[in-house]
Amino acid sequence: MSTSLIPDPLQMWRDAVTKLESNVNSLVTGSMESQEVVRSLHQFRTVSLGMEQAFEKAIGSYLSKVNLPSRKDIADLAATLQRIEDKLDRVLPPAVEAALAPRPPRTRRPPAPVATAPQSAAAKAAPAKPRRGTKRSGS
Amino acid sequence: MAAQTAEKGADMALTERLQLEVERAVQRSLKGIELLGAPPPTVGQTPKTVLHRRGTLSLYHYHATADEIYRVPILFVMAPTNKAYIVDLAPGQSLIEFLLGRGYDVYLMDWSAPSDDERHLKIDDYVLDFIPDCLRRVQQDSGEPDVSLVAYCAGGMLSVMYQSLHPGGPVKNLVCLTTPVDFKKMELFQSMSDRRHFDVDKLVDSVGVVPASMVAAGFDALRPASRVAGQVRLWDNLWNDQFVKGFRMMERWGNETLPLPGGYFRQTVKELLWNNALHEGTLKIGGRLVDLAKIKVPLLHIVAQHDHIVPSACSKPLVERVGSRDKEEVTLPGGHVSIAAGANAVKRMWPKLDSWLETRST
Repeated sequence: MSTSLIPDPLQMWRDAVTKLESNVNSLVTGSMESQEVVRSLHQFRTVSLGMEQAFEKAIGSYLSKVNLPSRKDIADLAATLQRIEDKLDRVLPPAVEAALAPRPPRTRRPPAPVATAPQSAAAKAAPAKPRRGTKRSGS
Repeated sequence: MAAQTAEKGADMALTERLQLEVERAVQRSLKGIELLGAPPPTVGQTPKTVLHRRGTLSLYHYHATADEIYRVPILFVMAPTNKAYIVDLAPGQSLIEFLLGRGYDVYLMDWSAPSDDERHLKIDDYVLDFIPDCLRRVQQDSGEPDVSLVAYCAGGMLSVMYQSLHPGGPVKNLVCLTTPVDFKKMELFQSMSDRRHFDVDKLVDSVGVVPASMVAAGFDALRPASRVAGQVRLWDNLWNDQFVKGFRMMERWGNETLPLPGGYFRQTVKELLWNNALHEGTLKIGGRLVDLAKIKVPLLHIVAQHDHIVPSACSKPLVERVGSRDKEEVTLPGGHVSIAAGANAVKRMWPKLDSWLETRST
């Protein structure tokens, strides 16, 4: 494929996408230096946030009238459940499996520097670090 | 004769190319339909135990996989804006899995969306409560007095603040990944938060917790065309399962940007972006001055060469300012995210982190 003398139109298209992305990013980020652009962005954000809050308030009133929970009610419920879970975590003993699982000894040493390591056959045969284990093992 | 052969080669290549593109087009259609109904990619699969959970904070302990581990455990501190599974995307693409395999005992501080009750949380709460609390729990669980802190982005900033206020604490080594210090050099964030146009108090007072959409929009504004271009590239590579898998994991991570407590956001804008207080040495946390020179522990700072969120000019002063004798800054090719996850990270950052930590973790 790479030996073709005919240009690859798809590759050209891919390159064009990359170039376009780079140019648009540069153009937009460059425009952020303008005070007018920044001011307009903040005005837009303020207006859209205000509209969003007004909309949420209206929806909240409607849900209250039809006796349905709002997002805030659900969030409060989730927070209550979370508090209960947190308390349970504190009260309950750790899972037996985790508590009883033996932990490996903390005796690992870094490998000897290559330059100072003896060039014996034994040293060459042994890996610089203990081979990666796949299970928790006892100490 | 030679010209004829070349012409024939070109024709063959064209035929092959057309055939390949037709195959890919078919694959795109089939896999595109599959993708529409596919569940979100599974992330964070490395086995772990929840050691502690309190509101927005979760502390995990990952199960050791080596037969023998280094004495000093690692506590990884994630930035409060994002989920920590960026360092544990999938088997073979997980920094956590790599560190476990290299013989480290790994703990991790992760964040979830703060509740409305947590809207008042400030940087002070992260630095003076969450981090020391987790360090105590790691000491208690591991039975070791020393801990290595490894922190990413704003997690690094919080860890640096913690360490400067607790120079005699349990931290033995400090590793920061792309940690911002000089906020004047974050030019786009400076423009976006220009105090002449941005009333942060009004925003925080009205929303309480700053919505995730607003936080994500702030990051997206740095590269506004990249999200669309990413979707185009996804379509182009729909035939490639590996690409799609990687893309979807990263996309999920980006989409799960977290909301920020209003107090934290207000302090970040006023103290860090407007006053550049961390760099100027005027930042006060819990009424105490944060002085980077008080950090004396061995420090490694890994900076990304093409970081568009924390430019190297913004993160460079960290190593210059700290008082550590044993300190090193490494600039690696890659961007803000690809320095921690992705092919670049696997090849460059992970081995560097391992080689630096292994001699300091006994």
